[in-house]
Amino acid sequence: MGTTTKLNIFAAALLAVSFFLPWVMWKDAALSGNDMPAGEFFAAAKEKFIVGNPFPHFSFAFKIFWLIPAGAVLTIVLTFLKKNAFWLTIVAGLLSIALVLLYFLFSKSLVNQLGVSKSTWNLVKPWLFVQALAAVVTVVTAGDGKWLMKGCLLFVTVVGTIIGFNMVSKQAEKKIFEETFISTDDIKADYCLSVIDLLREFVLNDTAANKKYTEKMLQVTGTVSAVDIAADSTSTIRFEDSTGPYAIFSLEKSQVNKIRNTKAGDMVSVKGICSGSIFSDILGTTSINFKRSILNKQ
Amino acid sequence: MKKTILFLALVVGTCSLFAQRKTTTTATVNFDATTPKDALPKAENKTVIGSIDTQTGAVAFEAAVNNFTFSNPRMQEHFNGTNWMNSAQYPKFTFAGKIEKVNKIKFTKDGTYSVKVNGDLKIKDVSKPIKVEGKITVAGSKIKVVADFKIKLSDYNISGQPIDAGKVDKEPKITVTAEF
Repeated sequence: MGTTTKLNIFAAALLAVSFFLPWVMWKDAALSGNDMPAGEFFAAAKEKFIVGNPFPHFSFAFKIFWLIPAGAVLTIVLTFLKKNAFWLTIVAGLLSIALVLLYFLFSKSLVNQLGVSKSTWNLVKPWLFVQALAAVVTVVTAGDGKWLMKGCLLFVTVVGTIIGFNMVSKQAEKKIFEETFISTDDIKADYCLSVIDLLREFVLNDTAANKKYTEKMLQVTGTVSAVDIAADSTSTIRFEDSTGPYAIFSLEKSQVNKIRNTKAGDMVSVKGICSGSIFSDILGTTSINFKRSILNKQ
Repeated sequence: MKKTILFLALVVGTCSLFAQRKTTTTATVNFDATTPKDALPKAENKTVIGSIDTQTGAVAFEAAVNNFTFSNPRMQEHFNGTNWMNSAQYPKFTFAGKIEKVNKIKFTKDGTYSVKVNGDLKIKDVSKPIKVEGKITVAGSKIKVVADFKIKLSDYNISGQPIDAGKVDKEPKITVTAEF
């Protein structure tokens, strides 16, 4: 077994092992190579930075990266069996380079777009570089000669990954920033309850109520205490409790004609996104706020 | 008799005290941190609580952070996230201040008055003194207050790459409108 073959086996082993070791550290989440094909990469990005996979319907494609450890292990086995493992080695190595670059470039975009760290290098762990080095060595030591082909494949992989990432990134950014909220009309309420019950829940335990209702769509029924229509056609509708706490709904502009016919004392149903409660030191009571609300029915 | 007079004086005094202090639950605060690179970071909150004391000139506002509405869902999430306003831990912005020379404002006579307000604006756990110029318009029994000012995000320990990259204004404009 020549030196090149031994180096190839060593590099393949390192490739397989470092695939499962931390490559990047986002806050307290250490992400290794296997997190991409396992679906944990974007799950962590969403949890930590509210940046999910912009194209979730293509997430099945990430499973191809399981070929990295599988290919590396098979390379070692086939090499010991003196079988041809050239293309398996090349694929494992090139996929690894592509994946390492993806991790780095995505971390870089987190820094640039969201300021999650002062520098990308703060997010990167040493095993990322070990994986990159092992991948290059794996490709270079695969088979005999064919340097030009190997060089071209490495170059195309690096350039292709960078260009591909930038293209997808721009598309994703465009998609994210053109996104608008789904109309409240088209969203089913998570909870339906009376204003009295809602206010009671918040007064009894605002921590639990905030946890339960914040950012949820609520359909609330009750007797109107006050209606306010602003000059720009936005409006609010307020429901008060006799003891002080109140729920206030900020209505969408499209509701202005409906709200003009609504007055204090009317029994109405309103649907909106709960923003949670605050305790007002000014009023000495609890205020529960809602946004993007509509008058459900009269 | 004396008890009756005392009681009536107390009632009248209490009523006048309440009449001096007016409140609203529908003040509007606009937050505009747009830049030439990004037109998305702006939001509005139409359920701001406000109070004005026509005798002492004391003004106060409270705004639920999570009720600032953006047009873009991602911007909405980031604004409330732990890296920015962290609304889960700091649910409201507050302002408490005083109108300078409030005795020069005739709250019982229709008119428009330019005013200066000095007070403390609290965002997250940082409170900073600010000076605001605005207008008070008296029309009948209604008092309308309009003011706008800029804040420095760095004063409130708010920083990040989007600010450095010019996508979020370092000094967003805040506009307050309230009718009491």
